[in-house]
Amino acid sequence: MNAYSRTVVLEELPSGSRARIVEIIGRGGWIYRLYQMGLTPGVIVDVVMNIGRGPIIIRVMGVEVAIGRGIARRIIVEPINT
Amino acid sequence: MSRSTHKKEYEIAIIGQPNVGKSTLFNILTGRKARVANWPGVTVEVHAGETDFNGSRIKLIDLPGIYGFSTLSLEERIARNYILSGRPDAVIVLVDSLNPERTMYLAIQALEMTEKVVIGFTKSDAAHAHGVHINYDLISKRLGVPVVPVSAATLRGIRSLLRTTIDVAQGRTGRKKPLRIDYGELEPYVSSVESLLKQYEDRMEYPIRWTALRLLEGDNDLYKYVRGVCGEDIAEEIAKVREEIKRIFHRDPAELLAKKRFEYLQRILGDAIVRLEIKKGGFERFTRLFYRPFIGPVLSLTILLGMFMIAFTINTGFPLNILLDSLGMHDAASAVEEYSIGGLMEKLFSWISSWIINSFGESWLTDLVANGIISGVGSVLIFLPLIMIVSLFLAILEDSGIAPRMAVSLHGPLSKIGVSGHAIFPMTMSLGCNVPAILATRAIPSRSERLRLLMTLPFIPCQARLVVILAFASSLVSGYGALLVVLGYSAAFLAFAVVNKILYIYEKKKTGRKEPEIVLELPPIHRPLGKVLWWHVWDNSKHFLKKAGTIIFSLSILIWFLVNVSPSLALTDDPGESLAAVFSHYLSPIVYPIGIEPGKAWIIAFALLIGFIAKEAVIETLTILTGTASPQQALTLLGLTASQLSALTVFVVLYVPCIATIAVIYSESRSVRHTLATIALMLGVAYVAMLITYGLSLII
Ligand SMILES: Nc1nc2c(ncn2[C@@H]2O[C@H](COP(=O)(O)OP(=O)(O)OP(=O)(O)O)[C@@H](O)[C@H]2O)c(=O)[nH]1
Ligand SMILES: [Mg+2]
Repeated sequence: MNAYSRTVVLEELPSGSRARIVEIIGRGGWIYRLYQMGLTPGVIVDVVMNIGRGPIIIRVMGVEVAIGRGIARRIIVEPINT
Repeated sequence: MSRSTHKKEYEIAIIGQPNVGKSTLFNILTGRKARVANWPGVTVEVHAGETDFNGSRIKLIDLPGIYGFSTLSLEERIARNYILSGRPDAVIVLVDSLNPERTMYLAIQALEMTEKVVIGFTKSDAAHAHGVHINYDLISKRLGVPVVPVSAATLRGIRSLLRTTIDVAQGRTGRKKPLRIDYGELEPYVSSVESLLKQYEDRMEYPIRWTALRLLEGDNDLYKYVRGVCGEDIAEEIAKVREEIKRIFHRDPAELLAKKRFEYLQRILGDAIVRLEIKKGGFERFTRLFYRPFIGPVLSLTILLGMFMIAFTINTGFPLNILLDSLGMHDAASAVEEYSIGGLMEKLFSWISSWIINSFGESWLTDLVANGIISGVGSVLIFLPLIMIVSLFLAILEDSGIAPRMAVSLHGPLSKIGVSGHAIFPMTMSLGCNVPAILATRAIPSRSERLRLLMTLPFIPCQARLVVILAFASSLVSGYGALLVVLGYSAAFLAFAVVNKILYIYEKKKTGRKEPEIVLELPPIHRPLGKVLWWHVWDNSKHFLKKAGTIIFSLSILIWFLVNVSPSLALTDDPGESLAAVFSHYLSPIVYPIGIEPGKAWIIAFALLIGFIAKEAVIETLTILTGTASPQQALTLLGLTASQLSALTVFVVLYVPCIATIAVIYSESRSVRHTLATIALMLGVAYVAMLITYGLSLII
């Protein structure tokens, strides 16, 4: 089985779910900002709120962060069952 | 050679991630200077202040909030260069007690640069309430760095922080060497870059290991620097090492190193921090509504609107007076108006004016004082309470942490005009004053969005323009007055939206960029700190009073002379023969299209010209020119129709706000072209909007 078979993008995770970041795709300033905010591969994020439109609210390292959908589409995660 | 222990003066830098409480602490330590808000990235300039402690003089530097030491942003560059300059005797790194896992990241990075570090844990008063328990001693032991919990709210630990900082500056405590993190499987690559740099050690201004790490992370500024110092060959070697990491690990080295640092942090903090689950407070749960579609934006807009309504009512009686009036309670309505703060102050000023004339007799001097200075400055000063109240409301939104939630709620609607939710902070600030708002755009991650905002934020009416709108409104029958205020603000936001949209579409065509994005930290909601609120109110009032006392005061005198002196430099009673009239005669035609007759046109034209310097001056110019005591009388005397007033209101709201705004647009864009384009844009939009308004109002 492929290690990536269970991955989805952050944008698709429903409210209340938990996931581990696998990869962040892309270039440019955004990505460094995300690293510095603690969004690096291996880190666990909780989705506080995702209602299908508007920014997604996640919690990472105890801090809530609002992330635009375009960026959330570039964050590959692996859902963790809780 | 050891640093002298007798040294009596120390330079200390304060750094921290955005919103950890640097400015609050800095203000407590040095007396107020820096701006505080529960919004990440407010401090964008470097503030310096001084304090005395145990006979030593401590110079404190409040650096902008940064997430790390890349050179992504101007702020990161400023902070990094300052720390590496060797100037600070010690660095206080502040870590947020409510959010230590993330905010410690900067402390770790600082420790890799320099050993002269003290770690302060801010907001220690609030930690327990948020269920965070921190073992400070354990963290201190593991890192070999002094750790001091502090609170700006209760003042706990402030003295201890200063004492420890001086000890570190003197080398009596703390680390002897910068921190060395073990980067595991990346170490061989780090060492190979280190050894490449080693030969140039005496020529390098920066620590070798730190430079090696930063180069691997892809720091372009530093790369250029190293190429200059070590030559093309070495630089190429280093680039190869970086490429090799990418090839072998299939990852950006920056990502790998950040991950290692967070893992290291986890080892330091893991069992030193205990988080207990605290039930979210009712209010915190309520704020989740901001994230809902439809409800969120409506909630945000209601709050902003409500805020202004209350402020207006307290200050001018508007719009409560109109409500009462329309209910047939005319006496109550006029009482509300008369006993509003503005109404009372207006009475006071006209009483002082007539007292001066009565007691000292009529002469050109008493006329200058009473009708020039007092009515000029007075017509502006009556708005001080309004400014205080609006500042207080905005401060509550900022300090409580509601403002960033509003940003999230309005991100959707704002994206449609090409700006992100990040723009909300500068936008609401613009309602107070455009100058700090333009500085606040620095926290916006997208550069193109920022440049667009530099051009369009000035459309949003600041309090000075509000002063003018309200004065115009006061001359109309009350119901129409309210409409005029609505018209002014609608025109402003419409212009803001339309111009942003057009610029955005143009930009999208050119660069193919996609929708605006947001990455914004949402700090915990908390009850605003009284101190912080007062700082905001006082700062804004001080700014306003200073302006009234200097610019408005001098303008009052200047205008009085221009209006009372004829071209042959003799005193004249007829303003129509004055210097001002002769001078602004040439400008008059600009208001002909809205049907203002030449006899009065010069007065309006002159007022608009003066308005370039500061918008409040439009009002005082009108009162002085017409020789009346209040703006209301001035406008009645000019006999403008409702259509003309509407058109003028729109023009005043949209054209260049003031000299200071232009200056700050220039200093932020560093481009004469951008600045001139902004002025041209504003004048053009304002003029066209004025004509449209006039045309429409004639039809209605
Ligand atoms: N409870 C509590 N809150 C605090 C304390 N110090 C600061 N705050 C709050 O923390 C928030 C951020 O404070 P600032 O001083 O603006 O933070 P900063 O680090 O200067 O932020 P930037 O300039 O944006 O980087 C504000 O809402 C303050 O009221 C404290 O000691 N206790
Ligand atoms: Mg600050």
